[in-house]
Amino acid sequence: MKRFAVLQLSGCAGCEVALLNAEAWVAQYRLVYMPLVVSAEDVPEVDVLLISGGVRTDEDLYKLRRAVKKAQQVVAVGTCAISGGVANLGDRDDVRALFLAEKDRPHVPRLLPKSHPADAFVTVDLYVPGCPPTSELFMAVLTNPHDFQASKVVCQECGRQKLKDVKPAHLLGFQQGEVLPDVCLINQGYLCVGSSTRGGCRAPCPRAGHPCVGCRGPSDVFIEKESAAWFTSIKRVFATMTNVPEDEIERGLRSPQLALFLFQFSDYADNRTVGGGYHPRPKEKVL
Amino acid sequence: MTTLTFPLSRIEGHARVIIEARGGIVQSAKFQATEFRGFEYLVRGAPAEQMPVLVPRICGVCSTAHHVASVKALEDAYGVTPPPLALTIRELLMLGQLLQNQATSLFIFTMPDRLGVDSLFDVDTTELDGDALAGVAARALQVRQAGTHLITLAGGQFIHPVKAVVGGVTGGIGAAAASAMRAELAEALPVACALFDTYWDYSVALSARLGTWGDDAPACYLTAVCGERPNYYGDFIRLMGCESGDVCAQFPAREYRAFLTVEEAEYSYAAQTSYQGHVLRANSLARANLVDSLGTPCANEYLQRFHREFGQPAHAILLFDLARGIELVYAIERAMEILADPLEGAETRIPYTPRDGEGYGLVEAPRGPLIHHYRIENGLIAQAEFVIPTVHNILAIERALRVAAERYITPERVNLELERAVGRVVRAFDPCIACATH
Ligand code: SF4
Ligand code: SF4
Repeated sequence: MKRFAVLQLSGCAGCEVALLNAEAWVAQYRLVYMPLVVSAEDVPEVDVLLISGGVRTDEDLYKLRRAVKKAQQVVAVGTCAISGGVANLGDRDDVRALFLAEKDRPHVPRLLPKSHPADAFVTVDLYVPGCPPTSELFMAVLTNPHDFQASKVVCQECGRQKLKDVKPAHLLGFQQGEVLPDVCLINQGYLCVGSSTRGGCRAPCPRAGHPCVGCRGPSDVFIEKESAAWFTSIKRVFATMTNVPEDEIERGLRSPQLALFLFQFSDYADNRTVGGGYHPRPKEKVL
Repeated sequence: MTTLTFPLSRIEGHARVIIEARGGIVQSAKFQATEFRGFEYLVRGAPAEQMPVLVPRICGVCSTAHHVASVKALEDAYGVTPPPLALTIRELLMLGQLLQNQATSLFIFTMPDRLGVDSLFDVDTTELDGDALAGVAARALQVRQAGTHLITLAGGQFIHPVKAVVGGVTGGIGAAAASAMRAELAEALPVACALFDTYWDYSVALSARLGTWGDDAPACYLTAVCGERPNYYGDFIRLMGCESGDVCAQFPAREYRAFLTVEEAEYSYAAQTSYQGHVLRANSLARANLVDSLGTPCANEYLQRFHREFGQPAHAILLFDLARGIELVYAIERAMEILADPLEGAETRIPYTPRDGEGYGLVEAPRGPLIHHYRIENGLIAQAEFVIPTVHNILAIERALRVAAERYITPERVNLELERAVGRVVRAFDPCIACATH
């Protein structure tokens, strides 16, 4: 039986919980390390190492560097491990200064200045974006990542219909309005970014009547490009499908601390290792 | 000075226990949370209406509770009252959260302690009491999944749900989906009861072997549910006094500072709460002590047996685990009741106008009362505060650790049982470190 381990760094455990729901691995793999569910001292030699969470403390970094040495294959799962995730919203001067000052604790692991993705420090063989990735994606990682079938973008998995003649004049807040079933959320004035977000999640959010916030990250078309390219693409979609003024879209997309769009948390294309080298994520490595 | 460090597993998040002893005399027992992401800082400047999407990321185990608390805080600030159907669907969400969490804590986190294994996924390979434990991992996951499916149905996603919105929920639940869910829960109920019976027996055997149910000194208890019929949606917080066993205070979330003292600790990223210098406890045992009746048949029977065998209030910490099992059964039964009623057709959300100001949102999360408090200026979050249930339990955890340490550390030696005892003590409180530090 193949062996796998899950190294949990600083995250929310949502990734691990999603993995628990993909229980079909129980028959095929032996889970040898995952502090959430297994009491084991250290990461042993494994076929697959999943890394979840961002590198937030010096202890995270130490554990990460030790663990990858034991693994045949290293997989970064979830937005936190891939782009620093939600904690990366703290990567602003004002915020950093405040919490590094207020949260200085002498007896616990020291905080790094920001939440780093795993590949800032170690080589990653496969990336599985999502916040969290769905249970289906976890199963695919552990069984046959190459056979995983997904649409290019979330829109193609959402099942809502795009209407040519319904053009909203303004954006509706996420929380407002009555959502019509079956009609594209953009037609209804919601800032949904499913049109440039990587497919594979089966679009649970727009199906439930909530705009996609892009947790799966950029689609293959954009993943090796800079974030400006994603913005341009989203704006083009809204220019075609709505009468919302361009500056209103711009404001919505670039909310003050980029709170909304999870794939903006860090620039996938402009990822640099801490040492300096440029390090793009080739689309072949992203599930 | 001897310093013993115990890393922790089978809890949510990163923490460790440090026990110091001199000449066999325990000097201190500390619970250290070792992770920190800084949500109170990083949400500053966020458009307030995005909070229900952002804050579930505080914790993937408790994301439903944060999602609902966040929506309630915004509704409080905007002065909105959601329609009844929306409240019912939110109650379902909280029940899904309760079911998922109690199944995880009971079976994945603490069952291995009763069976002497490192993980639930190891059980079938050990030689244990065959019948009661056959396929225990698969059965436990089945029950747990009924919870995640319920959250998905009511919340759109079972981790970081999206369906609760200011003014209501994005939609109702169709009759076909509701009855399929009801059928799944009906199947899960006997499985859950059988597993819980086994768990109860093993817990009794464990305490007999140890000669204790753990720290049983009185404490004050804190919960947002109370009385005859609990509703985890949350309204007021109630406090049961240390000595009396009566409710000695009742207050809305916005007055919590008048009753609870929250202090930072320099050795941990988690704060600690107390009440007039007393140790507080939240989570399942607080509810079992403050709730007289659950109002559903099987759960009620378990609750009465619990009160009969252990008293009300009961204080020993391993009883937290048993109380969780009662709630697991309750969550299934109550969700089945709700799903039998029509959950579509009526209004699910009402319009609102955002405004600046302050709002508090309270829910009873599986770990206890959770408060979100936002100050909104120009539509943006100027300040956010998350008052986390695990934080109310930190001093209680440390007191119970000390009791265990004093039991197993003698001038001659450290009994090796201490390491297991530390794990059991901490898991009894089911702390969530991602939440506690946020
Ligand atoms: S990617 Fe999302 S679900 Fe996974 S750990 Fe980070 S915040 Fe949690
Ligand atoms: S629909 Fe969008 S936000 Fe929802 S899971 Fe998929 S990528 Fe993530």
